[in-house]
Amino acid sequence: MTAVEQYLKPEVIRQIARLDLRAQFIVKGFLQGLHASPFHGFSVEFSEHRKYTAGDNPQDIDWLVYAKTDKYYVKKFEAETNLTGYLVMDLSGSMAYRRDQQLSKFEYATCLAAALSYLMVHQNDPVGLVTFDKQIVDSLAPRSKRQQIGNILSLLSRLKPRETTDVAHSLNQLAAMLSHSSLVIVFSDLLTEPEPALASLRRLRHGGHDVIVFHILDQAEATFPFAGLVELEDPETGELLVVDADGYRPDYLQALGEFRDAFRRECLKSRIDYVPLDTSMPFDRALMEYLLNRRAWG
Amino acid sequence: MGFLSPALLGGVALVALPIALHLIMRRRPQRLPFPALRFVKQRCDANRRRLQLRQLALLALRCLLIAGIAAALARPTLRGTGLRGKQAAPLAIAAVIDNAPRMGYVRDDRTRLEAAVAAAEAWFERLPDDSAAAVLDRTRPSAGFALDLNTAQARLRNVRVAARPRPLADAVVEALELVASRGDARQEVFVFTDFAAEAWTEDAVARIGAALRAVPEARIYLADFGVDQPRNAALGALEIGRAALRLGEPLALEAPLTADGSFDALVVELALENADGQWEKRGEQLATVRAGQPARVQFQLADLPLGTHQGALRVAAADPLEFDDARYFTVTVRPPARILLLAEQPERAVFVQEALSPSLLAAGPRQVDCVTADYAAPRGQWDAFDAIWLLDPPPLEDAVWEQLASFAEAGGGVGVFLGAAVGDYQAFNRAAPQQVLAGPLARRSRDATFLRPQRLDHPALRGLKKYSESIPWQVYPVFQYWQLGELANDAHVVAPLANGDPALLERVAGRGRMVTMTTPLSDPVQPEGRDPWNLLPTGPEPWPFLALCDQLAAYLTHEADEPLNYQAGDTARIVLAARQHVSSFVLRQPDGQKIRRSTPAGDAEIAIGATELPGNYRLSAGGASEQLDRGFSVNVAPEQSDLSRASRDVLAAHWPAGQFRLEADPAAMEAYVNVGRSGRELFGWALGAVALLWAGEHLLANRFYRETP
Repeated sequence: MTAVEQYLKPEVIRQIARLDLRAQFIVKGFLQGLHASPFHGFSVEFSEHRKYTAGDNPQDIDWLVYAKTDKYYVKKFEAETNLTGYLVMDLSGSMAYRRDQQLSKFEYATCLAAALSYLMVHQNDPVGLVTFDKQIVDSLAPRSKRQQIGNILSLLSRLKPRETTDVAHSLNQLAAMLSHSSLVIVFSDLLTEPEPALASLRRLRHGGHDVIVFHILDQAEATFPFAGLVELEDPETGELLVVDADGYRPDYLQALGEFRDAFRRECLKSRIDYVPLDTSMPFDRALMEYLLNRRAWG
Repeated sequence: MGFLSPALLGGVALVALPIALHLIMRRRPQRLPFPALRFVKQRCDANRRRLQLRQLALLALRCLLIAGIAAALARPTLRGTGLRGKQAAPLAIAAVIDNAPRMGYVRDDRTRLEAAVAAAEAWFERLPDDSAAAVLDRTRPSAGFALDLNTAQARLRNVRVAARPRPLADAVVEALELVASRGDARQEVFVFTDFAAEAWTEDAVARIGAALRAVPEARIYLADFGVDQPRNAALGALEIGRAALRLGEPLALEAPLTADGSFDALVVELALENADGQWEKRGEQLATVRAGQPARVQFQLADLPLGTHQGALRVAAADPLEFDDARYFTVTVRPPARILLLAEQPERAVFVQEALSPSLLAAGPRQVDCVTADYAAPRGQWDAFDAIWLLDPPPLEDAVWEQLASFAEAGGGVGVFLGAAVGDYQAFNRAAPQQVLAGPLARRSRDATFLRPQRLDHPALRGLKKYSESIPWQVYPVFQYWQLGELANDAHVVAPLANGDPALLERVAGRGRMVTMTTPLSDPVQPEGRDPWNLLPTGPEPWPFLALCDQLAAYLTHEADEPLNYQAGDTARIVLAARQHVSSFVLRQPDGQKIRRSTPAGDAEIAIGATELPGNYRLSAGGASEQLDRGFSVNVAPEQSDLSRASRDVLAAHWPAGQFRLEADPAAMEAYVNVGRSGRELFGWALGAVALLWAGEHLLANRFYRETP
C-alpha cells in the first residue's frame, strides 16, 4: 500500500474534523495517486478569461485578448455537457450502524458525497443534494458556484440518519422531480426489498439519468464476524433473532453475495453503475469505480 | 462387565443436573444490533434447527460426561471366562503364608518365605482400596482382617519363620472361616506355600476340602514356592544319653544325618558353648551319606566338670536350608545326691543302700548316709540331704514327723516304706504323721499279691517304661502290706498292687515330694520271728528292685525331672534347687540378646515361654544366695526338614472342582486372577473416555458460547 493510499483510508479521514478539508484531502490525494488527471481533455470548453498569474500554463494565454488589451489573460474551460449531479443520501437508521470501523455507513457516504461534490463543483458541474428516508426529506438545488460546496457540506454535516426508510418510494419521488438528464448518485445500504428498489432505479435510468449506486455496508455486515450464540437486533424494526454465528456465517455470506450479485446483474442490464462498498475500503477505490465508469461512458 | 464399587454408579443420577440447568438456566445469548438482519432471516429456520441440534448435542455430551465420571469411579471391570463369583462385590482376601522352617530354603539369594511375602505384597498392591485383607501364618491364630491394606502389608512384612508351626490346614481353615464371615464380599484365600508333604497330608487336604465345601462361594488359590530338587543335609533328632549327668559320667550324643545325593561325605562337628557364649570345638566326625539312607553320628564327651554345659552338633557344609544344620543340647553335671536312710537296724538298710550306691563302685552315683534310729536329728543336719528314706519306721514322735514335713516343704524328698515295725498303726494315724503319709493306715492285709504298676507315665517310674513289658513283677510277691483308709486330698496312687490296692503313693508338699509305700523295701529273706512282707529285694535276680530304688531316688532327689532340651515353642521350665530363691536373672538368647527377668518370690521354677529361636538359652543370676547358672536348648522338630513334596492329585480328590486353582508360577496365578476372577480393570480406559468426553464438551461449549469480541 502506497503512502497516498494510507491517507485515503476511512480511519485516517475520520481524524480530519472539517468536512471540506476531508473532501479536499480525498480528492487531492486521489488525484495525486492517479498521476494523470482523468479530467484532462474531457467535457471542457471555454467559459471565461482571467488574469494570468505566475504558474499558469503559458499555453493557455489568450493572445487575441493580449492583442486587444495588451494584458495577459488565460482561457478558462467548462464542461462541455451541462451534466447536473444529484447526490442522493439514504437517511435510514441502519446507515448509522458502525461496529469496528471508525466511520459509520452514513459518515462514509457523507465523505464520499463531499468529495464528489467538491470534484464536480471544481469541474463546474452543478451539483445538488437530496436526502431521504421514507420519502425525500431535504433537497438542495444544483449549482455550480463555489458556494455550493459550502452549502452541501453544511447540510451534510447537519444530517442524522432517521429510523426507517423506503428507498423505492423516495427514488420514485426523485425521478418525478428531475426534468433534465442528470447524474444521480445514490448512497444507500439498500437494506430493503430489492425488487421495488431496482424498479425505481430502472425508472430513474429510463428517465434518461445516469445512475450510480454506492451500495455501502458496514464491514461487519460484509463479513459477519460474530462468534458463538448471538441475538441480533434490527435497529430499524427492533426485530430480534437468535443465531449460532459460527454455523451461520457461510449462509449469511452466501445470502449477501446473492443479493449483491442480483443488484449488479440488474444494474448492468439497465446500465446503472453499481458500486458495492464496505466501510473498511479506502476512498480511492470508491472514487475509482465512479471515475473509470464515467470515462468509459464518456 | 462389572463394577468394583457399584454404589458409585448412583452418581449417574447427577445427569439430572445439566438437564435441569438446560431447562431452567438457559444461557442468554449476547444481544447485538445488526441492520442486515434480512440476510440472516433468509436461512433462519435451517440455522435454528442446527442450533437446537447442537444444544442437544452439548446437553447429551454433558450428561454422558457425568455418567462417564460416575461409571469410571465405580471402577468397571471386564470379566473373563474364569471362575464365577460375586462379580461386582468388594474383595475379602485372606493370605495364608506358610512360614514353616522349610521356607527358609534359599534360592536365588532369597528364602522361599521372602519370595512368598514379596509375591503376596505385590498382590496386595493391586487390590482395590476397599478390599478387606487378612494375613495368616503358621505361627499363631490370626487377629482377623486388618484395618486397611497398609496394615495388612505391614503384617505381611512381619511374618517370620515359625520354629514350631501349627498345622497349615488350621491356618487355611481359619482363613476360609474368616472370609466366610464377609458374606457380601468376594471371598478369596491365597495360600503361599512350598507344598511340602509335611503340611499337605491327605488329612489336612481333606480338612480344608470340608471347610471349602462349607463356604461354596470361597475360592482358594495356591501359589507354589517349593523347590523340586532341593539340596539339603539335615541333622535329625539329637539323642542325649542323660541330660543330668553325675560327676564323671560321660556325655553320649547321637543323631541321624540325612542328605540328598549331592553330598558324599559330611563333617559333623561337636562344639561346646561356654558361659560367655564362646564356642569351643570338642570333636568332629566324618559321615558318609547316601540319598535316602541316614547315617548316624555319635560323640562321647567325658570329664565334664560340675555345672551346666551347652553345645551343638553342626554339619560343616553349607546348604540352602540352614536351620537343620545344627542341633543344640544342654546337659548338666551335678554332684551326687545325698540320701539319708533311717532304719531301726543297720542291716535293714543294706539292700537299699547297695541299690542306691553299690559298694563295689569306688564313687557311687549317690552319696548315701545310713543312720539308725536317730530320728530326732537336729534340723540343720537334715538340710545337707536331698532325700530322707524311712525304712520300715516304728511309731515316731510328732516332732519327727513335723520335721520331715517341713523338710519336704522346703524341697526335700521323703520316702516312707511301711512295714512290720509299724506295730500299733493308730500311732501313724495321728495328725503329725498324716502330714507325711498318703492316708491313714486301715489294716494290715495278708493277701498275697505282687506289685503291678499299670502305666509308667509317672515321673517316679518313667525310667522303667521301656522295660515295662519285660519286668516280671509277679516273681517278687508281696505277702503283706498296709491297706490305707481314705487318702489325703493331695495324695494319689503311683503304682498299685495286682489286687488293686495302692502300693506306691505320692504327695506333693511345697517344693518337695513325699512318697509312701505300703510294703517295705528292706525285709530280708527271713526276718526274726516273722515271715517277710515281700520278696522284692530278695527274690531271684532282683533287678526290678534296683531299678525301682534308682527311679525313686532320682525322683525324690529331683534328679531326673528337669528336661533341658525342648522343641521350639515349648515352655521351658527351670526347676530351682531346694531352698534356692531367685528374684531376678538374665536370660541370654541364642541370638546373643540378653533379657533381664524377675521371678515372683517363692516360685520353685522359672518358666520361659519365648522359645521361638532354636539354640541355647542361658539363665544366670549373681549373688551368694541367688547364684544361678542354668540353661536349656531349643531345637526345631526334625520332621520340619522334610523337603519332599506333596502330591497335587490329592487336591483334586478332596476339593470341589472350580473352587481352587493351583499355579506353580505365582505370576501366572496373578494373571489368571486378574482376568478370571476380579477381571481386567477398565478404570484407565473409562478415564480416557471421560477425558475425551470432557474435551468434546469443552470444544463444543467453547465454540458455542464463544463471546463475540
